[in-house]
Amino acid sequence: MKSSTRLLQALSFVLIAVIGFAFMPGPKKITVKGSDTMVILSQKWAEAYMKNHPEVTIQVTGGGSGTGIAALINGATDICNSSRPMKRSEIEKIKERYNSTGIEIPCAKDGITIFLNQSNTRVSELTLDQLSGIFSGKIRNWKEVGGEDAEIRLYGRENSSGTYAFFKDEVVKADYAANCQTLPGTAAVVNAVKNDKNGIGYGGAAYATGVKHCKVKKDNEGKAYEPSAESIKTGEYPITRYLYMYTANRPTGEIKAFIDWTLGADGQALVTEMGYFPVK
Amino acid sequence: MKRTNYQFKTSAITLIIITIIWAGKLFAQNDADSFTDDINGIKDQISGVDERLKTVENDVSSLKKIKFSGYIQAQWEHFENPSVYPANYFSVRRARLKATYEPVTGVAFVLQPDFTPGNLSLKDAYAQVNEPWLKTFSLWMGQFNRTDYEVEYSSSKREMPERSRIIRALYPGERALGFKLEASPQSVPLKVQIAMFNGNDFLTISDVDKKNDNPTNKDYDDFKDLMVRATYQFRLGHFGSLDFGAHGYFGAIKATSTDLLDSEYKLDKTVKIGDRINKQWYGLELQFYADVLGGMAIKGEYILGKQASVGASSSATQTITQSALANDTLFVTTTTTTTTTVYPGIVRDFSGYYVYLIKNIGKKNQFAMRWDVYDPNTKLGSSDIGLSDHKYDNGSESESSNTVIEDNTSTTTVTRSVLKNTLGSGTDDIKYGTLSFAWHHYFNENIRVTLAYEMPFNEKVDKNSNGVGNVTKSYTVNGIAGKLDYSEVFPQNVLTLRIQAKF
Repeated sequence: MKSSTRLLQALSFVLIAVIGFAFMPGPKKITVKGSDTMVILSQKWAEAYMKNHPEVTIQVTGGGSGTGIAALINGATDICNSSRPMKRSEIEKIKERYNSTGIEIPCAKDGITIFLNQSNTRVSELTLDQLSGIFSGKIRNWKEVGGEDAEIRLYGRENSSGTYAFFKDEVVKADYAANCQTLPGTAAVVNAVKNDKNGIGYGGAAYATGVKHCKVKKDNEGKAYEPSAESIKTGEYPITRYLYMYTANRPTGEIKAFIDWTLGADGQALVTEMGYFPVK
Repeated sequence: MKRTNYQFKTSAITLIIITIIWAGKLFAQNDADSFTDDINGIKDQISGVDERLKTVENDVSSLKKIKFSGYIQAQWEHFENPSVYPANYFSVRRARLKATYEPVTGVAFVLQPDFTPGNLSLKDAYAQVNEPWLKTFSLWMGQFNRTDYEVEYSSSKREMPERSRIIRALYPGERALGFKLEASPQSVPLKVQIAMFNGNDFLTISDVDKKNDNPTNKDYDDFKDLMVRATYQFRLGHFGSLDFGAHGYFGAIKATSTDLLDSEYKLDKTVKIGDRINKQWYGLELQFYADVLGGMAIKGEYILGKQASVGASSSATQTITQSALANDTLFVTTTTTTTTTVYPGIVRDFSGYYVYLIKNIGKKNQFAMRWDVYDPNTKLGSSDIGLSDHKYDNGSESESSNTVIEDNTSTTTVTRSVLKNTLGSGTDDIKYGTLSFAWHHYFNENIRVTLAYEMPFNEKVDKNSNGVGNVTKSYTVNGIAGKLDYSEVFPQNVLTLRIQAKF
């Protein structure tokens, strides 16, 4: 047999294998991992979807956006939840492993809320510069921003969190102060501020119960806004972001059906119900 | 009397009530004191735990600044080339452990040794500083990858067991000592790299006498090499992306001989020992990623330019002439034969390219194919190599005059007429095309198994009047002499089965 014939046969085999694998039915079990900010929303989505599609199992875990993106790169999850856009270095890793650039799906909007203790009556609004000063450690006492003479105690997220990265890049614009206590999840941040009259923290609006929402303004001249559907939609609330789902390749099968459902009327209604803001 | 009794009863009851109240207060006071003590005790315990926790947190945060990663590639290879012996063997191709220390945000120190059986070598050792204001620039200093796409693409991720032939020839060892300034603006998908290196890193110079003039990889001359690379990425929505770029290499190496030849082995010019001989090349690169039934990529690079090799002289070979075993000791007598093989410096025009086609199949499998070509001497074709027309040509210089060649220990003077009879084009000028296939299976995030087949095709040179190729190469395997005849494509295929563990 000629070597060219053998080569042709080998290539045909590869082509058939490629097409065969590509059209294999998608999994009935979907794993979702990533942003802690999105965990409660994602779990709610999963519960509602599985109720109508009992043949599908959706497993949702948190761990932070960075952890979720790493899992997506490593093939350990089908969908990654992220509260920040992927970094260029992460897209490069997706390229190296999957030869695609990853699929970014904005699925909700969120305003990062500044949490204050309810007994902190003298401070009710802060500028972005003041927040930067507070979380970078330049402003250390509440009296410097109109509050009582007391040390400011900082609560924030771990560095695997998308909220940590977003807040650092968009608000702090420097390293976090060394005394900023890092906590696993926004719920833990809310709880810490609830129990500390001199505490301040940040996190997704959906978790903010039992604490005071601090209004935020872009600068001294601007008007201060609380995160609300209206202020986030209009962009008036200055710390607004998209929440994303990522897949390594264009979703197919059940994964596509689930994502399409989250972006549809039912899925977006749950976004509002859970305290986030719809993308449409 | 009744009144007295009544008074007595009233007084007694009052006394009892007072006593009870007093006793109650006394006990309450004791309870409160005890409770306060308990609280204080718990507070002290919590303070102690808090203090210990802070110490642990400090220790952990220090440890978190050091990250370890690495991979091991163990493999079995089978060679079809008759001159290669053993024709199959197991080996550890790479065993890397990379330690990254980030004392503060934006500063990293990286150390990466490679452990392979019988050899420990330093791959990466550099400091990287990222500027914190614009978050655009980073400065690297030490030993790190040269700025080329396939060079910078990690061996642990690459789709073929080895890099393309042209990349291996131009960038031996991939790394170089020097510094690099990298600009990668956050808002623009552009990356610009400017690097300056010693330039002769991992080159073996003066290999004819089996001595390496460049053994410590410090530097070989005062000339520094400049590399510039720029890449840009076009996003094509959910479909994929198109990345393209270019790089240039502007280097030099010192002359070690007074004669400098061109690609056709003609005397180009006479120079002084220590003079600058330029080596320059330019490359274009492209990577296209498309999501078509899963990820797919087409990647390629084309490079052309001039490569310089320095002169070398006298070859000394040791041969065992006698050996004997006495009292469990092997006594060996060797004889050193010195032959005056002399190569003046030569600058060759070269070109080459590679093209990859990669297709991911599901999440666990990947197929890759590569065609790469390297022509180390574009001025000489298959009908030229090995011919007397392309032997050393002294040009306008006198045939009877001398050329001087200096190596690390000595200076050799050779009459040009000797060079004329001995020096000419040969195996170093032969073009190669290599077709490679690989199938990867990812068992999980850490384990990848690769089955690869590489098929090099040498350029077929013309035959002489005796029906033998103008270029041949002799070998001996297990005492049997053989000859590789470059007028035919002789078998050189390599089958590789590799398992890679990465962490």
